[in-house]
Amino acid sequence: MRVVRGLLALGAAALAQALLSRYVPVAARFCDLFTIMVVYYGLTCPPSAAMAMGTGAGLVEDSLVGSILGMNGFKKTLIGYLVGTIGSLFMLNQAIPRFGILFAATVFDPLAEWGLSVAMGRSFAFPGTLPLLQRGLGNGVLGLLFFWVASRLP
Amino acid sequence: MAHLLTERKPYLLLLILLTFNLGLMSSRIRSASERSLLEEGILGLGSPFLKAAGWIGQAVSGTWHAYVGLRGVERENRRLRERIDALALQAHEAEEARQELGRLRELLDLRAGVPFDSVPARVIARGVDGSARVVTLDRGGREGVRINHPVITPRGVVGRIIEAATAASKVQTILDPNSGVAGLIQRTRVQGMIVGDGDRGCRMEYVSELANIEVGDVVVTSGLDQIYPKGYTLGMVAAIGEGEGLTKIVEIRPEVDFRRLEEVLVLLKREGPPERTAP
Repeated sequence: MRVVRGLLALGAAALAQALLSRYVPVAARFCDLFTIMVVYYGLTCPPSAAMAMGTGAGLVEDSLVGSILGMNGFKKTLIGYLVGTIGSLFMLNQAIPRFGILFAATVFDPLAEWGLSVAMGRSFAFPGTLPLLQRGLGNGVLGLLFFWVASRLP
Repeated sequence: MAHLLTERKPYLLLLILLTFNLGLMSSRIRSASERSLLEEGILGLGSPFLKAAGWIGQAVSGTWHAYVGLRGVERENRRLRERIDALALQAHEAEEARQELGRLRELLDLRAGVPFDSVPARVIARGVDGSARVVTLDRGGREGVRINHPVITPRGVVGRIIEAATAASKVQTILDPNSGVAGLIQRTRVQGMIVGDGDRGCRMEYVSELANIEVGDVVVTSGLDQIYPKGYTLGMVAAIGEGEGLTKIVEIRPEVDFRRLEEVLVLLKREGPPERTAP
């Protein structure tokens, strides 16, 4: 049942992200629903589930964005693992810590991509500090909203 | 061994997943043109979402545009209805103005043709019984209108002023039974007195039984009553009947349509011999 819910949530996130990037590209720049999904699973499920969600979400994002296949899968798996590990070590059920984790995961995403690109000898255009902070802020706010909605679902 | 696996399960899973992703990346970089079946499958994951996003976007956009369009149509419909009402009113007013212009032009032509000072006036009231025996004009003594001034239209004689206030005056039309106009048959110059006969018209009295009069003859003013100038049309002979003694009564249908009387010309004073070329 949890797997089905996870797949449905992943599908919904993919659809919402595709809609956003197609019709509201400005809003799509400030949020990454896949990262939010991975962080949610990392904080509410065991690390293995978070990693699985990270790989799935990353691969779907790869197929949507058209980037190198596996790039986002790698990043999101790593994020899932880190958040899942942190979530199992600390109590992160309050808004501010969750916001911090969402913000950190969002900032970590391009940093991981930068590291991978360097390792593979590929060029990487860093998004810039301000857009990255804006994206972290947007993801934090939207993630908290997602946590609030998810806690009210049956 | 089992315990070790359970304990290290997250690390193992992480290792497997990262290796899997790295493998995907390296294979993609190594052979950019060729894709394995697995890669094709993973890349195909996104296409349903993209298609669904496009479909949803189009549906929402179509519905929204239809809704906005419908609202626009309703608004436009209401605006056009208001416009139609306004234009209908304008058309009505324009038609009224056009007809009034035609009448006033006729009146102006008449005014230019008469050898008297004259003042155009508008009929503002009729008799309380709805008849046209007495009508009220919007011009009076201020404009020089006096009692017994004749009132005419391009069609013919209307009557004479019987009361003249400052800004209005009353006209006794030739339909009034108390009115009398000296007239003559234009064709044979037979003279007589034309008196009103109410809404039926007028009749010519004191006409000799031997007088040569036929139905259709035009009757004009003779000028002998010292009120109406000579030669203005009164009407047309409609019927001829037996009178008292050796006279006959001639029924006259007035040329002026008193039920539609709107603008008239009041002749203020006479200058020289009151002669007018018969129409």
